[in-house]
Parts: sequence; C-alpha cells; structure tokens
Amino acid sequence: MKKHLLPLLAACMAFAGSTICKAADTIKVGVLHSLSGTMAISETSLRDALLFAFDEINKAGGIKVGDKSYMIEPVIVDGASNWPLFAEKAKQLLEEDKVAVVFGCWTSVSRKSVLPVFEKDNGLLFYPVQYEGEELSKNIFYTAEAVNQQATPAVDYLLAQGKKKFYLIGTDYVYPQTTNLILYKYLLLHGISLENIGGGLRKDDSGKVISAGKYTPFGHTDYQQIVSEIKQFAASGDACVINTINGDSNVPFFKEVAAAGLTPADCPVVSFSLAEDELRALPTKDLVGELGCWTYFMSLNTPENKAFLGRWDSWLKEENHPGVVKEKRAVDSPMVLSYDGAYLWKAAVEKAGSFDVDKVREALESETIYFDGPGGKITINKNHHATKNVYIGETRANGQFKIVKSYDQVFGEPFLLKGLDEKLAAK
Amino acid sequence: MKLPLVLALAVLLAGLTANPGTALAEADPVRKKLAEAILSEGGEQQQLLNELADTGSKAVVEILTAWSREGVFIFTSADNSKIPVILEEAEDSAGKRRALRIEDGQALRDSQGSELRFASSELAPADTDMRLRSVIQQALDTLALSMGAPDSRRSAALKLGNSQKIRYLPLLQNRLSKERNSEVRRGIEEAVALLELSGTDARTQIEAIRHLGQLRAIGCVDNLKSTIAKKGCAPEVIAAGKEAIRSIEDHIWWVNFFGTIFHGLSLGSVLLVVALGLAITFGLMGIINMAHGEMIAVGAYACYVVQNLFAAGFGFSVTLPFNFFGRPLHFGLHLPGINATGWFYETYFLFAIPMSFAAAALAGLFIERTVIRFLYRRPLESLLATWGISLAMQQCFRMVFGANNVQVNSPSWLLGHFTINDVSFGYNRVFVIGFAAVIVLATWLLLTKTSLGLLVRAVMQNRTMASCLGVRTARVNMLTFAFGSGLAGLAGAFLSQIGNVGPSLGQTYIVDSFMTVVLGGVGSIVGTVCSAVGIGTTDQVLQQTTGSPVTGKIIVLVAIILFLQWKPGGLFSIRSRSLD
Repeated sequence: MKKHLLPLLAACMAFAGSTICKAADTIKVGVLHSLSGTMAISETSLRDALLFAFDEINKAGGIKVGDKSYMIEPVIVDGASNWPLFAEKAKQLLEEDKVAVVFGCWTSVSRKSVLPVFEKDNGLLFYPVQYEGEELSKNIFYTAEAVNQQATPAVDYLLAQGKKKFYLIGTDYVYPQTTNLILYKYLLLHGISLENIGGGLRKDDSGKVISAGKYTPFGHTDYQQIVSEIKQFAASGDACVINTINGDSNVPFFKEVAAAGLTPADCPVVSFSLAEDELRALPTKDLVGELGCWTYFMSLNTPENKAFLGRWDSWLKEENHPGVVKEKRAVDSPMVLSYDGAYLWKAAVEKAGSFDVDKVREALESETIYFDGPGGKITINKNHHATKNVYIGETRANGQFKIVKSYDQVFGEPFLLKGLDEKLAAK
Repeated sequence: MKLPLVLALAVLLAGLTANPGTALAEADPVRKKLAEAILSEGGEQQQLLNELADTGSKAVVEILTAWSREGVFIFTSADNSKIPVILEEAEDSAGKRRALRIEDGQALRDSQGSELRFASSELAPADTDMRLRSVIQQALDTLALSMGAPDSRRSAALKLGNSQKIRYLPLLQNRLSKERNSEVRRGIEEAVALLELSGTDARTQIEAIRHLGQLRAIGCVDNLKSTIAKKGCAPEVIAAGKEAIRSIEDHIWWVNFFGTIFHGLSLGSVLLVVALGLAITFGLMGIINMAHGEMIAVGAYACYVVQNLFAAGFGFSVTLPFNFFGRPLHFGLHLPGINATGWFYETYFLFAIPMSFAAAALAGLFIERTVIRFLYRRPLESLLATWGISLAMQQCFRMVFGANNVQVNSPSWLLGHFTINDVSFGYNRVFVIGFAAVIVLATWLLLTKTSLGLLVRAVMQNRTMASCLGVRTARVNMLTFAFGSGLAGLAGAFLSQIGNVGPSLGQTYIVDSFMTVVLGGVGSIVGTVCSAVGIGTTDQVLQQTTGSPVTGKIIVLVAIILFLQWKPGGLFSIRSRSLD
C-alpha cells in the first residue's frame, strides 16, 4: 500500500510544482503615461487600452516563447505630465524593474525626454500618438500616425474637394510648428500660391521660411481677431482651415467659428488633435460637418471593429484595475494604436523566440510583423513606422465621425521635410 | 397629339413644385430621371444631370449629394435588372439598413414582398469618378442657387463665380432677375462680374472690374490681382484693376478698423464682467480675494446645472477618499429634469443668469461667514486663506462634475451674427456688451442711489467709525461680499457661452481680473470700467497691427507695468483720509 502511495504522492507534488512553476512565468512590461496633471485626461485612456490588451493576451494563454508561455505583468508608472520625470521613470522601468518593453508617452516633448534613456539602456518603446515625424530612434517603434498618414492625406482630400486657399492655425509648440511647415511646403508643391496660404509666415535672416501659420499659446481663449481674419480669407468661398490647436482652446475657437457663420460647407476646418475622446468634452453641436483624419474611427463599420468594441465593453464591465473609469467611454485612434502596439510586440517576440531587445527589433524590422487590428491591418516597416489605413471623417452631433474617405495601407514616412525641399528646389 | 404634351407639362410642373417634405415618398418623373442618370453613362448621363439641375427638387439634392459621396448603391435583382437605391440612415441591431429605391422612394422588397435590408458593404456603390463628381457638383450648385437660406444661396453664387466657367453666366443672370434678397443679389452680381472678368474681351473686363470695385467685393481681390498679373493683359484693364483693388483694400481697412473696435469693446466687456465682482471684494473691501476665479466657476457650473435641469436632469455621486469611522463616506444627488425641447429649452439661459448669481452669492456668503470675517484687518492672511479656499473649491468641482470640461450649449439666439457693410457682429459679443453695460449700471445705482449702498461705502471707508454710528458692519460686510461674489457668478454664466467650463476655469481669469482692477484704481468702479475697455481695445488693436495674438498681450502687460510705476494708484486713485 505504502509503496503505491509514495510515487503517487511524488507525482502529485511534481504536478503541483509544475503548475506553480508555470504560473510564475511572467514577463514585466512597462506602461509610462501621465496619470496626473494636464495630460492625464488623455493619457489615462491609453493605460486602459493597454491593460485591456494585456488582459486579453493573458487570457488567451500569454506570450509563447519556445515551448513556454509567459504572462504579461504590467508595471505602471506615472509620468505626471512632467517631462523630466518621464525620463526618470523610464530609467526606473529599464534599470530597476528590467521590463522587456515600454508602452507610453503622449506629447512629443515627453518622447524627446525619454529617448536618450532608451538609447543608453537599449530599451524598447512603443509610441502611439500622431506626431510631427523627423525622428527615428533604433529603440522606438512608432505605431503613431506620421504626418503623411494624417496631415497630407487630409490636404489631398481638401484639394480634391476643390479647395484653393488654406489657413494654418495651431498651438505654439513643436508638433503644430513642424506639421505646418511640412504642409506649407506640401501646398507650395501642389501649386497653391504663397498668398493663398493663410496665417502668416516667419522667415529667418536669410529669408528662409522657418514657421508658417498662426499660433496661439496653450489655453488661449480670445479668437475674435483670428476668426475674422479667417472670414475675410474665406470670403471667396474656396478656403479651408487646417487646425492643429491642442487641448481645450478648441472650444472657444469653434464657438467663435460658429458665431461668425463660417459653416463647413463654405470653409471646413480639419482638426488633427480632436479624436472621439476629446470630442466628449466639446460642444459637438457646433462642430457638425467639420473634418478629422485618423487611422482609426470608432464608427468604423467593419466586423473586426465591432467585435473589438464588444470585447472592450465587456472588459470594462468585468475588469477591476484601480482607477479605470467605466462610464461614457469612447475609443479613439491613440488608444487603438496602443492596443495594436501590444499585439505587434507580442508577434515580434514570438517570431524572435526571445524577449531580447535586439532580437525583437530584428523581428520587427523584418517587415513581416503585422496585426489585424480594429482599424485594419497594421504592419511595422523597417523604418520603425507602420503601414496602415487612413480615414477621413466628418464630425457628427453624437461625437462620432462619419467616414467620408479612406486611403488603404498608407506607408508611414517620418522624414518629409528633406524630400519636399528637394522637390521644391527642382521645381 | 396635344394631350400627351399637356400631360408632360403637368407632370413637369408637379416635379417643379414637389413639396420637399414629401418628396422622398413620391413617384415622380424627376426621380425616374435620377434613376436613369445613375444607370446611364457618358454624354447621356451628363445631359440628364444638366436637366436635373433645373428641377429645384430637394429630393434631387439629397440623392445627388449621396451619390457624390458613394452613398447610392446598385442592387442587381434576380432577373439581372439594376435598381439604384439609397440606404436609410437608421441601422437595425445587425447594422443593416432599409434600401429605398431612387425611382419612387419606396422600400426595396423581394418577391414575397418583405423589405430587404443591407449593410453598406454588401452592395456595390454606384460608380463615380472625378469628372462625374464635378458634373454632379455643378448640378448641385445650380440647385443651391435657387434653394435654401440666403446665406447658402449667396455662397452658391460666389462658388459659381469663382469657377471661372463662362457657361454659368446665363444661369446667374437668369437668377439675378428673380432674386429679391439684397445680400444674395450682391453675391450674384459679384459672381457675374467675376465670370465676365475671366473672359478675354477687354471692354467687358473693364466693366466687370469697375463693377467689382463698386461692389467692394472683398472675396474678389485675389481674382483681380491674378487677372492684372496675367501676360498680355491690356494696359487699360490693368489701370482699372489697380483702381478697383485700391478701393476694395480701402474698404477692407475700414472693415478691419470697425471690426477691431467692436472686438476691443467685446473683449473689454468680458474683462469688465469678470473684474467687476473683484472690484467690489478687493477694490472696496480690501480682501485680496484669490477665490474670485472659483466664484466665476460656480456661476458657470450653475449655468450647466440649469441647462441639465431643462433637459434630462442632473445627478452626481461622490465617494470621499477617506473613511469615517470605518465607513466610506458617500453622498449623491439626483434632480429630475423637465425634458424641455425647442424654444422652451433655449430659454434655459435666461433662468441660468439669476441662478448663477444666486449660487455664487450663496457660496460667497458661506465663505465670508466661515473664513473671511476673521481676516478683515489682515489682508495678507486673507490672500493665503482665499487661495486655500480656491484650491479646495477646484477639488470640489472635480469631485462633483468630473475633471473633464462640461458642455454648455449656447442657445440658438446667441449663435449667429449680423453683418453691416461687411463688418460682422456676433450675437454673443453684442450680448456681452449689453450685459456688461446693464450690470455696471445696476452696480453703480446700488452703490450710489440706495441706502444700502450708502452703508456699504461708509463701512468700507471706515469700519470703526461706521460701527460707532450704529451701522451693523458685520451684516454689511457679509452682504457686500455676497454681492461681489454674485457678480463673479454672472461672469461665469456669460463665460460658459464663449469658452470652456471646467474645474480650472477660474485660474484662466484671475490674473486678468486683478490686472483690470489694479490698473483702474483700487476701489473705483469707474476706473474698472475704463481700464477694462482700455485693455480690451488696446489688445485687439495690437493684435490686428502686429498680426500675433501673443505680442499684443505682452505689449499690453509691459505698458501696464510702466503705467503703474508712474501712477501706482491706477487710473482713478481714490484719495482717502482713512489711515489703513
């Protein structure tokens, strides 16, 4: 009797041991967003999207490397809308927590501040928010919209609509300044003459244009003068406005636009910083018919997106992560690109068969890593940017977008200025 | 032989006078023609579209618009005939929509007679290409010229004028003879002149140019410039063009001049409305009131609550972040709404104005009783205490209303604008100027013509003396502070119409408020009025001349600093014998 019992017991223990051992196979993954301060309103949504992706991946059996499965263990840190703090937190994630990858950052300045840390410690960062381009770090993968996946398609669309005059307006910092400079050159290249680009130009001593468009500081509230200028600019009826105003200054701007009687039919405004999440806090009634351009819209009518939204809703009901708001949630492009980023990294790790940064990077650079996300297929290219679908939508009263145009599988190109300069010179 | 002709005419007339409301449901020849146009190709299609452009039917506008946006689909039935359809807006739970036949507006049914439903991906959209879309667009423009509001008719005319296609000329001239609205007429005249300008005959061009100059057509400067810059342009044309451009640019200068003055007045009024409450609490009472901004926010949130009460109701629930004897503290409130719609809903703002005054006044009363009354002789401590209050209040707003901004919809009578000689006046801006005038007048009357005002001035000038003479100073203090806070609340109600309503609303305006009051001279209402209007106008003029919204503000701030060096008491300094 005893003789039989002992091996059985041993087998039991071994089995128990193996399951414990299996459960202990986790891999640490960093989430670096502002969970407090000015940017918290936008960035907490990205943390939620990432937690959702991690829960989904874990539920489906985790990440398979070789014959082992690893569960994702998120390490969430708060950048607190404080750019130097972002660098410190990145250092902590890479050197103390030894995370395999970090998903994070929203503003370009926070990305610029963590960049040297990632390069020094050879970390891996996935960056999900539309940005100005002109950057390529070997340690960062940009699932974000590059300028040619948001700004230039929008301009193409407006040109096709017969618009001949473009007024550029934005908040005064690196993203609008760079984007507008690119657009200024792009418009010149497409035969729009100098006087038909509104907002003003600034030149340096040698006469080279260094800034195009009108700029207001963060939190600006008085748009009377600018809107009346736009109104005169648009008097001929073939003008449009390219809006890179960031944050809640959009409210006084659009209220003034509505009060001045500038309708989307006469002079549409295309905004690059207003997605569904931001529209929740804006008077959408005044914005109906204005344009937006992103690589994902919540209203996208595809089975993949509907299934995704269904899963997101049921996750919101079930999850018990601290601090996740459950009511009145919207999903937008930065959230989906964060989500896509998690899956792209998983695919790359599984292909590389390792969590080693160099091997994962090699896998990602092989141009074979793709993911069928809610916004369509997204493929990482050798230049660390992604090829994906681009959509142009009109704002509706319910805070959603009606898609009016889509461009399939646009290649993400970060460096546009040099090429435009060369083409302009050739012209 | 005659009968079919009469019939055809009658049918045509019916199509022309088709009631827009029921147009979708009617089976008329116009719709037939539409269906035909969608299925045909090439020159025939173009011909049909041109004919459709003359129908003036709303259904045609709807369907053509849908077509140019790939919203018209081709359904191929079992017997291989093609039926053009549009999909209804409303989706069912499966994401499918009813298909309506273009031909008669009826739902598409299968052979058993049950309605067919589709998702837009299941049907092939009717083909459009760039060329076809532009033909459709032209048809739509022609239709727009005769339909809709004056504004849209005018912009449709200008669009045709800018197209530089001479074939629109008869269409526009034809419309000109029928149009009654003077603004639209001016637009059409502009468009006609623009088209004539694009011709080659020098004499017509000169006439068109002169006409444009007389019309002072702001939108045509670009066209005039490009015309006279063209190679081979006759010298007479160039001379006429230059003169026209000069007269239009003169006109633009005047438009900008009056526009800037109006903008300055309206910005000044905003500053005045915002600062008036502070002119009472800081200016008269001497409390360095850092919570003034939050009083403004109270008014704005009161406006939000009233708006919600007119709609679906207002509710909140707050769980405090600490435990009270082991129990989480939780409280909430739900006020049912009255679900008003239409014009009644739009009147919510009229109720919101007194409510925001009352809410902020009550909040002020509470703060005065609990904190400020202990600090009348200690101004520096009042600064710290009110700053603390302001932080606490901001956190309260976050807990009750959330950290995000809330939406306050403008009633439609505050949206829109009117134009006098190309200077446009926004209703909300006109409103704020009137609003500011009314509350300044009311405040002035209260302070100078009522016995309460007399007591207020007495107490503020010399508390001890007033008290000796039997004035109940504590009560007067309390009422004055509440009144000042109430005025801040009114400012909040107005600001909700032009900007954001959020927890940090007050922070945006606190600096401007102090700036206005200090420049005007502490304690002087007249000074506050002058400094508000002065700052507003200077700021707008500088914005206009420097072309940058920031430079103007910087220059204004520097000027204020320099001015206060020269006259520390502000514009209207009060000479007082009191020693404090």
